[in-house]
Amino acid sequence: MSLTQKLTEALAGGLQQIGQIKILTDHDLAPFVLVHLDDEDADFSSLEAHLTPEKAREIGLYTPDGVYRFTKGEMSLSGGWLLLLQSPGEVRQALDLFYPASLGLWAAWKDGSVRIQNLRDKLGRQTGMYRHAANVSDVGAQELIQSVCGPANKCVKKILWQLDENSPLDDSEASRFNGIVDNSAESNAIPLVCQEACNYFVAQARKKSKEEFEAKA
Amino acid sequence: MNFSSKLSPKPEAALLIVGHGSTENPDSSTPYFDHAAEIRKRGLFAEVHCCFWKEEPSMREALYMIDAEEVYIVPDFISEGYFTRDVIPRELELTGPTTQVYGKTLHYCDPVGIHPSMTSLILQRTEEVAPEVPPEESTLFIVGHGTGLNKNSTKAIRDQVELIQTLPENRFASVQDTYMEEAPLISEWDQLAETPNVIVVPFFIADGLHSYQDIPVMLGFEKEEGKAASQKEVFRRNPYQLRDKTLYYSAAIGAEPLMADVILDQIATFDAQHVAHTETH
Repeated sequence: MSLTQKLTEALAGGLQQIGQIKILTDHDLAPFVLVHLDDEDADFSSLEAHLTPEKAREIGLYTPDGVYRFTKGEMSLSGGWLLLLQSPGEVRQALDLFYPASLGLWAAWKDGSVRIQNLRDKLGRQTGMYRHAANVSDVGAQELIQSVCGPANKCVKKILWQLDENSPLDDSEASRFNGIVDNSAESNAIPLVCQEACNYFVAQARKKSKEEFEAKA
Repeated sequence: MNFSSKLSPKPEAALLIVGHGSTENPDSSTPYFDHAAEIRKRGLFAEVHCCFWKEEPSMREALYMIDAEEVYIVPDFISEGYFTRDVIPRELELTGPTTQVYGKTLHYCDPVGIHPSMTSLILQRTEEVAPEVPPEESTLFIVGHGTGLNKNSTKAIRDQVELIQTLPENRFASVQDTYMEEAPLISEWDQLAETPNVIVVPFFIADGLHSYQDIPVMLGFEKEEGKAASQKEVFRRNPYQLRDKTLYYSAAIGAEPLMADVILDQIATFDAQHVAHTETH
């Protein structure tokens, strides 16, 4: 079954939310209306309406304060817009721009085929300037997870990985977060899942490892 | 100029465009999305996606977005080097030109910047930025970064210079490779050019600090303290009268919409070299 078919099925089954986006399938404006969660109850005529899924990249590019959003799992999506789409294929394309690969990762996670890479393996495969990230201590890595990941740091992905096979993440808001914003019901939402630490995390691990090295010297 | 790739449709296959991306400059990934949109519009592939080193989706995440079993991977990079030889194969778990992994067949094409059809693109760009300027009285500079770290990045530019020089229709008085950080330096453009007109084409995929600010400062028409992405204005004020010459400055070559054709040409080349060969055995 294609991802578009899986999405169609999920929408028919009551799916309404992913990240900070509400998906409406019963609105007069279009077969599929995407809107920011904060604008769900707004007067839709006051929102800027767009008709193409490609617009999603532009909408998701900056925070409301004008800061570039290079990590899309960040809880800083701007509101004030409507995306009026005609087909599940268009919804899929828009979601892949708002939350890249999240639909596919969710489908793989659900059917048990997602390939999770633990942090030590992820750091161990780095080369070039990032190879030093692997030297970060376990304590340092656990601290980083709490200072980089999770809703407190605006990342709203559910972390699937551990430090290594035998070392789960320390209990924290970041490690507990289920990938669904606003405590919405799990049955109606696609959680954002994180199958391995992102490259921003790797860059932070490199910095942390450097700090640890300098502190020892 | 007729510049349309002859690649046959691949309605069962996906195209995955790989870019560098940036955590600082949102313009950096715009060309990749533009190239993807252009190819998607032509309906040649079942799916067209982008993935990045510094942005999302990462290369590891990208395969989850794709339904198709056959995937053509094209590095939207200007040269061969660390990323195309080490990082992309490692991240996508590629073991050769064609790799079977996780139920998919992945074809790994060469980076766009080394394809011979880049030559036509550069010439088209010169016609756009300096229309009606006689090539016989002009020097064309192709500018790269230049660094001791990656000899291949300068090779890609030298190859393009040689290709243009050998074209029978080339009428430029001179075509030269220049660099930001190694000789021949673009900052010495007025000494390197013997003609009254000079056309400068940055050999980068995306417009960013190098093309908005660094090269304009080296050419002498922007001040160092100028606003970083004081944006595409620098490309709109042509020509510049500087150092007793008339200078025409182009946007980065990768920002050209026809780069979509180079991506398709790179796939056609891959098929000619690998797929046809495989099918005959």
